[in-house]
Amino acid sequence: MAAPIPREWTGLQQFPAATQTKLHELLGKMKEENVSTLTILVMGKGGVGKSSTVNSIVGERVATVSAFQSEGLRPTMCSRTRVGFTLNIIDTPGLIEGGYINEQAVEIIKRFLLGKTIDVLLYVDRLDAYRMDTLDEQVIKTITNSFGKDIWRRALVVLTHAQLSPPDGIDYNEFFTKRSEALLRYIHSGAGINKREYGDFRLPIALVENSGRCKTNEHGEKILPDGTPWVPNLMKEITAVISNGSMPIHVDQKLIDGPNPNNRWKMFIPLILAVEYFLVVKGIRRAIHADIANGNVDDWEQRYRDLVGSRDPIEQKGSRNRKA
Amino acid sequence: MWFASFRRVREPNAAEPSEDAPSPLSPRRSSQPHGYSLRISSSDPNPRPHSSRNRALASAIAAAATSSACDLGGGCGASGGGGLLSWIFSARAARADEGKPAGADWDAHGLPVTHTAVPLSRLDGRKRYKVSELDFLDRRARDRASAAEKNPLFDDMAALRLLPGGVYTRSQLLGWLEAMTSSGMFEQLSLQGKPNPDGTLALTVSYAETIWPGAAERLKCVNVGLMAPPDAGPDEDMTAREKLEYFRRQERRDYQQRIRGAKRCILPESVREEVLGMVKKQGKLTAGVLQKIRGRIEKWYHDEGFVCAQVQHFGNLDTDEIVCEVVEGDITRVEYQFHDKLENIVEGNTHIAVIDRELPQQLRPGHIYSIGAGKQALTRINSLALFSGIEVNPRPDETKEGGIVVEIKLKEHEQKSAEVTTEWSIVPGHQGRPTLASIQPGGTVSFEHRNISGLNRSLSGYVKSSNLLNPQDDLSFKLEYAHPYLDGVEDRSRNRTFKASCFNVRKLSPVFVAGPNMDEAPPIWVDRVGIKATITESFTRQSKFTYGFVVEEIKTLDQDNNICTHGSRVSPSGALSMDGPPTTFSGTGVDRMAFLQANITRDNTEFVNGATIGDRYIFQLDQGLGIGSKNPFFNRHQFSVTKFINLNKKDKGAGKPPPAVLAIHGRYAGCVGDLPSYDAFAIGGPHSVRGYGMGELGASRNLLEVATELRIPITVKNRQTQVYAFAEHGTDLGSSKDVKGNPTEFFRRAGHGSSYGLGAKLGRVRAEYAVDHNAGTGAFFLRFGARF
Repeated sequence: MAAPIPREWTGLQQFPAATQTKLHELLGKMKEENVSTLTILVMGKGGVGKSSTVNSIVGERVATVSAFQSEGLRPTMCSRTRVGFTLNIIDTPGLIEGGYINEQAVEIIKRFLLGKTIDVLLYVDRLDAYRMDTLDEQVIKTITNSFGKDIWRRALVVLTHAQLSPPDGIDYNEFFTKRSEALLRYIHSGAGINKREYGDFRLPIALVENSGRCKTNEHGEKILPDGTPWVPNLMKEITAVISNGSMPIHVDQKLIDGPNPNNRWKMFIPLILAVEYFLVVKGIRRAIHADIANGNVDDWEQRYRDLVGSRDPIEQKGSRNRKA
Repeated sequence: MWFASFRRVREPNAAEPSEDAPSPLSPRRSSQPHGYSLRISSSDPNPRPHSSRNRALASAIAAAATSSACDLGGGCGASGGGGLLSWIFSARAARADEGKPAGADWDAHGLPVTHTAVPLSRLDGRKRYKVSELDFLDRRARDRASAAEKNPLFDDMAALRLLPGGVYTRSQLLGWLEAMTSSGMFEQLSLQGKPNPDGTLALTVSYAETIWPGAAERLKCVNVGLMAPPDAGPDEDMTAREKLEYFRRQERRDYQQRIRGAKRCILPESVREEVLGMVKKQGKLTAGVLQKIRGRIEKWYHDEGFVCAQVQHFGNLDTDEIVCEVVEGDITRVEYQFHDKLENIVEGNTHIAVIDRELPQQLRPGHIYSIGAGKQALTRINSLALFSGIEVNPRPDETKEGGIVVEIKLKEHEQKSAEVTTEWSIVPGHQGRPTLASIQPGGTVSFEHRNISGLNRSLSGYVKSSNLLNPQDDLSFKLEYAHPYLDGVEDRSRNRTFKASCFNVRKLSPVFVAGPNMDEAPPIWVDRVGIKATITESFTRQSKFTYGFVVEEIKTLDQDNNICTHGSRVSPSGALSMDGPPTTFSGTGVDRMAFLQANITRDNTEFVNGATIGDRYIFQLDQGLGIGSKNPFFNRHQFSVTKFINLNKKDKGAGKPPPAVLAIHGRYAGCVGDLPSYDAFAIGGPHSVRGYGMGELGASRNLLEVATELRIPITVKNRQTQVYAFAEHGTDLGSSKDVKGNPTEFFRRAGHGSSYGLGAKLGRVRAEYAVDHNAGTGAFFLRFGARF
């Protein structure tokens, strides 16, 4: 699947000047680090605002957003260039259908990504989702199974609908902390990250508010409730993820298929066979012979032996003859 | 040579043997006060011991044999004795029998009615007399009451029993009298008939029991079974007196020698003590005591299963050591007889060695015949599955005195058999309505050629199709050749059987089964056609080791018998997606492979009053060789352990209640290397985790199952049954993802699950209520057979 010829990132000019400045700053910084292409994979459950986020980042309406309907199963990629820098954003469909992971969708995403390199994974969820369930875990598991655990080293957790009024009696910051903690906990368990590895998998969190009613500051930048302009902030976090020292994820056939379980331990089969023969089979045989020796004889036979003896009849006959 | 000492005691009676000897039945009018009484002396110098002994055995055995022959389990009942003294009389009594009238009618005596008794000699030989009264009179008794008591010595006449109201001829009465007298139990015995006015006779038996002078201090029991019979007897030309002298001399010397040389009986010390106690208690050695001793000793033998044992003779009764001669029933040889359907003796097709190797050691010549050994032989020969009728009968050896020939009568199965069964099945057509075209005739043709060349080799096979109109759609067959005794029939130390088969079997795959929260997935059929050659080495009845080689082609088919390559499921939107796990290793829907197979089973379970107790270990291995489509190389192994623990340590024994049993079961299965989905281990089902459907919990590369069941016997309306409680768990150990395509996840199965429940055995059916722990719901199940 040939990537479309990247268009000029015109949407950049739509941002307020202050944002533009910051973004240019970040682009320059990336150029310094010899990063000329940035591929962002956006994943998450359906209806959390993935497409809106993509639109917000690009500054154009690249992905159709509909409030009540999920898009098709196909992922879309939009590429924009700006002064020799290419930005690829891959928007994916929601992974959930009918209360279960839609493997078909996962399969399509995998095939779509084949041959591409993912620099950053944006795992999108809503800040205003109060509860989490196994579905979240399944989504995280699916991502892990599809691209490997290492994708979480390049992950940025994005919480949309940041401009919310928290439930009564809870401070915004407190709510945010709790929400992100809960989400991280699920990611840790779903991706199989154990406590020792928390340091390696930092999983930074960025807040996003895609709504048109988002407050703006004096420069016209969309800001979060704490006053931070979130688009530059998001881009800053993305660049931070790129430069955190981990390797970008190259999606190839091997990664999609996962390690072939059929090949695991395969070379040890002769050894396993030897162990099975010498320990298990021989062991059971010994036990059988012990059973025979222990003489699990019938009652009558035992009684017979007690009374008559178990001598060979020929021998008995001989002794009788001698006596007679 | 029987009752040697009796004879010696009766020497005064035998003082004039010259007249008596030739005609022992001749009435002898002695100096009795009433000259009418009839008295028969039994001083027959050579009273045909051999034939009577053999006949005695014959009657005893006949009684035992009839029961052992008819059923497999019942065996020779304890009725073996055929009566205490029957054997003594059977010889003559049988002769007396011949004249027994057939009808119930009787004739009037036709004698003048007087108060005096009539001797038997005056009775008419052709008439049948009715005995209306029968009195016994013990001459030794001190008072009248005890004198009139009937002595138990007169009981247990197997052949003829004098009863009041019976109808007898003169010869019968004479026979009875002779038999009684010759038993040596009585010093005096007379029978008097008193004619009654109504034409019947009133018989009075007056007797005096023999009492021997010996003071029994010791009891010696010897087995005279296979001893050479005492010498043939005196020369024909000796005079009677010489003969008598000869006997006397011979007797003493020979007897002592004979007894010294005899083998000791297996009778334990405790029984001997008990018997001695009986004598001492009585104070004197009377015929009655001897009879009791006999009864006791024979009862012990019969209770122990030595049904052919007979007390032959008591000797040395005038000394302080009584000698009890016993024929224990030594086996002299084993005889095989083949019968056809009409009970004619035919030449059997089966090699004797095939049957002979099934005989327990205790049934071979030189051993004492025991009912247990006979029963075991019966079961073991039966398990050859070659015979439709088996009888194991002991019978006296005609050629060797006191010996037993084990006679095995066999009726062979037809060597060739074939069977055709047909069935109709109605398959719902379109819209679920059966149509004419959907009525399918199905059928099975099976055949068997048994016992090829008499060595229990067999060729058997079947062809089955559920649609005979279109048999290529669904045809399964199996053709198997079995070749037992690979190491030779004579080699009893090894028992290996070679089997070769070609087969085609079709099974519903439990791997492609939808989870509980999903619409049913289209079924996938796994069709295997191939050849298999194995060698089975049997160590015991239940423990064996099988190893062999399998070459097969595996096809995965959908409902319409088309090869299908991937599993499919119904998506929530109702669409059928064909993107499931690959059904075969090659991905084409058809795999071919060759692999080695081994299975070793250690099973030492036994039945304790109907409940299984013991351990069962099974290890099974499939070793791929890299031969086949995409060179599959794998090691697929399963190990299962089942322990049945006897909880209340109930002992074995007939009629005892079965014990409570705790069954513990564990099974591990795993595969290293290439694993096609049809070889994945399915979790869930009546033989995996109860309460779930087959494969409902998943299909994985590794699997662990643990189960426990508590079985409590209960009695409902005098019928034994059991109730049980169980808990089971099965898990994929996280290995579902290691099966290509992850069928567990694809079909939304949990990968693990527990269940628990209660059940009751209702005859052969088990009804149980099992709670599915994943869903938390319970359901009733009915099934055949136990889980373990």
